[in-house]
Amino acid sequence: MTPPWVHRVAFPVALLLLGLLALTSLAVGDMRLSPARIVSGLLHRDELAATILWNIRLPRMLVSVMVGAALASSGLVMQAYFRNSLASPGLLGVTSGGAAGAVVIIGLGWASASIFVLPVAAVVGAMFSTSVVIMLARRGASTERLLLAGVALNALLGAVTSYVLANFTLSYERNARILFWLLGGLEDRTWEHVFMASPILVAGALLWPLGRPMDLLSLGSREAQSLGVDTKRLRRSMLALSTVLTALATAVAGTVGFVGLIVPHLLRLLVGPEHRRLVPLTLIGGAAFVLACDLISRSAGGLRVGIVTSLIGGPFFLWLLRRQA
Amino acid sequence: MTALTVTNASVSGRITDVSMALAPGMLAGLVGPNGSGKSTLLQVAAGLLPATGGVSWSGREVDEILIPERGRLAAWVPQEARFEFGFSVRSVVAQGRYARGDDECGVDEALQQLDLTALAHRPVNRLSGGERQRVMIARALVTEAPLQLWDEPLAPLDPRHGIEVLTHARRLTRAGSTVLFSLHDLRAAYCLDFVVVLHQGRLRAAGPPEEVLTPELLMEVFGVRAKQSLGLTLELP
Repeated sequence: MTPPWVHRVAFPVALLLLGLLALTSLAVGDMRLSPARIVSGLLHRDELAATILWNIRLPRMLVSVMVGAALASSGLVMQAYFRNSLASPGLLGVTSGGAAGAVVIIGLGWASASIFVLPVAAVVGAMFSTSVVIMLARRGASTERLLLAGVALNALLGAVTSYVLANFTLSYERNARILFWLLGGLEDRTWEHVFMASPILVAGALLWPLGRPMDLLSLGSREAQSLGVDTKRLRRSMLALSTVLTALATAVAGTVGFVGLIVPHLLRLLVGPEHRRLVPLTLIGGAAFVLACDLISRSAGGLRVGIVTSLIGGPFFLWLLRRQA
Repeated sequence: MTALTVTNASVSGRITDVSMALAPGMLAGLVGPNGSGKSTLLQVAAGLLPATGGVSWSGREVDEILIPERGRLAAWVPQEARFEFGFSVRSVVAQGRYARGDDECGVDEALQQLDLTALAHRPVNRLSGGERQRVMIARALVTEAPLQLWDEPLAPLDPRHGIEVLTHARRLTRAGSTVLFSLHDLRAAYCLDFVVVLHQGRLRAAGPPEEVLTPELLMEVFGVRAKQSLGLTLELP
């Protein structure tokens, strides 16, 4: 069992870690900025630092934070929903659904019509994947069933993406944008992306009060209902929130895999399975994880954040499978 | 007023036209061969499975009771609990208080009653089948619900814990609650106030065990011959 002191320090430690990573994310780059210069830049007292921070690093940092929080919490919610610790938006094909939606819209050249087009297309694509997985899981959400559904969906949506790439007459710029989705990256994020991702904050806040009923649900839907949880409403909210969170994250950063699997898992090992603690910690932990992966990708020169999360996530997933067996 | 009334309940392919009523303070058993519809009837009675016909608790139609209030009025124990996550035994038992403000009232007492105090901080997913069942019964006890519906609570338990669970059920009914549980041990059924017999999804008989569990019925429903003999009698020291 987790010692009580871990519960006491987990939240402040996670916040401190997130703060440090956020500060580092603002400080490092082609031109290093000291904490003092960061403050001056943010207050427009140092114009060069202000330009770097306000135009490049601050939006990138904020997008990273929101993407990480969204993907990790979405994974946590799916694990509670399916009562399966291997469920995550990436493995179930929800991320691919969001990316395929976005890719089709970019391919058709509609992405620039309005800043809402891309997130909406990603939500529609993610919803498609979620509904297919739900249909399959109705007859029992065993690990094998869920993962195979994910394999099939990822293959199908991958085919959609390849079709767009191969058969649309695309400009170089559109092709580059599509590749961006497939690799998942946080480069050149602007305030428009911050704005696009900002509903993540609302969805994250809406998850907060669901923590306790999620504890009951994760031990069985009928069991939870017998204890007074309106499971129909709860499950609907959980699905809607997790799908929207994944889709928005995908709309601004492309396919960034494994965050929804790794972060809730590590935190569960650390503080136990209770969602009242896990929901806020996963939001913070996910943000910190993606910030850290983005820092690695920046220091490794050209390594996209999606590649970094996959390099960490792939072996982690194999370790998990071995542990479960 | 009855504590539980089921009127002409049917669930396609599982139970047909079942009607039964239990008076408050009754310790009742639900018996029948495998696949006779016991679990289905318990879930219908608990308001967890949609069925045609009606279910009422203390004269109130279940469909008209809001779900949070249902959590205070009836407790249900599943036949087999599946735990994916390692919640502690204590936290699972405390979930029984969800509909009553999520306090921890009576949790330690229930842990003690079900002999779980030593396991309180163990993860539930590492317990044996019998231990898990005791956790689920403890969770049902802390709800303080006046109607307790348990699906085969005794099946995975060793003799001592089985007798203890029966003793707790009896204590609850003396305090005014009503307990209905399914069981396969027909000898244990003779200790109850009331027995409901299901056969192929239909109600075959209901009433006091000595009137209902006749050799003819046992032969017809279970295909066993009843024989009176001096066997082993177990009781708590």
